[in-house]
Amino acid sequence: MRMMNWICVAALAVVVGCGEKPTAEGPDAAEVAAASVLYVAEAEPEGAVGVGEARESAESDQAVTLVGRIGGSSKPFVEGLAAFTIVDPKVPYCADDEGCPTPWDYCCTQPQVKENIATVKVVDADGGPVAFDARKLLNVKELSTVVVQGTANRDDQGNLTVAANKVFVRAE
Amino acid sequence: MLLPWEYGVRNLARRPVRTGLTLLALATVVMLVFVVVGFIRGLEQSLSVSGDDDVVLVYSVNSEENIENSSIAARSPALLSASLGGTWKRFGVDHVSPELYLGTRVSTSDQENGLGLVRGVTYRAPLVRRNVKIIDGVWPEQNEVIVGRLASAKLGSHSDALAIGKTIQFEGETWTVSGHFAADGAAYESEIWCDLSAFQTVTKRQDLSLVALLLAPGASAAEIELFCKERTDLELRALRESDYYASLQQHYRPVRLLAWFVVALVSGAGVFAGLNMMYGAVAGRIRELATLQALGFRRRAILLSLVQEGVLLAAAASLLSGVIALTMLNGLAVRFTMGAFTLRIDSVAILVGCGVGLLLGVLGALPPALKALRESVAISLKAV
Repeated sequence: MRMMNWICVAALAVVVGCGEKPTAEGPDAAEVAAASVLYVAEAEPEGAVGVGEARESAESDQAVTLVGRIGGSSKPFVEGLAAFTIVDPKVPYCADDEGCPTPWDYCCTQPQVKENIATVKVVDADGGPVAFDARKLLNVKELSTVVVQGTANRDDQGNLTVAANKVFVRAE
Repeated sequence: MLLPWEYGVRNLARRPVRTGLTLLALATVVMLVFVVVGFIRGLEQSLSVSGDDDVVLVYSVNSEENIENSSIAARSPALLSASLGGTWKRFGVDHVSPELYLGTRVSTSDQENGLGLVRGVTYRAPLVRRNVKIIDGVWPEQNEVIVGRLASAKLGSHSDALAIGKTIQFEGETWTVSGHFAADGAAYESEIWCDLSAFQTVTKRQDLSLVALLLAPGASAAEIELFCKERTDLELRALRESDYYASLQQHYRPVRLLAWFVVALVSGAGVFAGLNMMYGAVAGRIRELATLQALGFRRRAILLSLVQEGVLLAAAASLLSGVIALTMLNGLAVRFTMGAFTLRIDSVAILVGCGVGLLLGVLGALPPALKALRESVAISLKAV
């Protein structure tokens, strides 16, 4: 009987010790899901143009709809913010047989990326970037194809940033 | 009935040479464990204290994880200061440190061409690297350097060669040591710091390796990361300094795993050495053990007495090694690829070292004692 008590105590200690840590940091799933409804489009917006074309034609403060693939560097997402870089789908990324561990960095086609990359930041009603990780907010990952609707921002160096208010994620 | 405690203690003194040799063997094994665990703990400590959560490093996206390969435009610090609102600013001074970081050949008076780590910095560097303290001398002026506490270890030279007033050579120039600094064991302690513009002149470089920014309270590193993503033309990336050193921890993970494997191997070899010694010690005492059994002592009591002897020896060996490790090994500088760090004999190292030592005592004594006690009393009494 005494032995049984000890076994129970040990088992309890293991169960308590191995339990998942409470997630004190970061938003919980319900919070992210609620925010997600605001920013994820259910139907694909029409008239989306590739990133390369938008870099040539889009003006600052102009409404744009862009299509692109998440990537452009080994870490295309901004930690802690709903922001990431997208590359025009016409630019091929490294094929599986190239043996590249991070094909979304386009290491095989780097020169083409320069003119075909844009930054997307999902913004709230005040225009500030949404403080949730894009991977959780939009349920996307590297090389996901997205269609973003928002306002373009161009600078003198030709960089294009889209302050997006809706993002549609194409099924793979 | 158990054998008296003194019996085991006196037995150790009865064969002083054998006891001394066993003690020496066990102490050597425990010392090796201390060295390896001290190495692992020192490396981990150096990398874990190196990163400041409030400091963000901005460097070239093409250099991947290695800032030594990074090259960014000289105007980057001004651009970052102007574009970002999240950096710390006091008395009108932005806490933004432009730095040129190189691994280069350094000659001292006693060492020709040691590989050193040189960082060209400005007066703003200590504002951002808050754990850096000048412990001796003054901040370097033109053609002067201030050296970290472990820089001599990294160069493989004697610390006297980097005394204040001594000269060293690198990049074809002679530099005078103007002071020494410490950084709570961080990686910079193995570096040589000099004036940024002087370093750029001698290396004929106008670019920088990185910009280190201190975040204002409540500011987020994500803002800087987003700026780098938006300005794709600059080809910059931003990373928290703590994440940078955490990635180095990952980089050195195989080294740490190998070191723990060495601990296991050394401990295993130690157990065999202990077994060998104890087999020898018990083999010569078969008649004595049989006599004890004939006198009425139970096998369990004799076994316990033999284990007591083994554990006493192992404890003494652990104590001896522990004292030597704490007084002579702790804080000893070790040269490594990333710079230099100190061996760290901390509570974990003491626990592992002494634990292995005591385990050697128990595991080493048990099998030979069991073997000796398995024989019948009559046969054992006739043993030669």
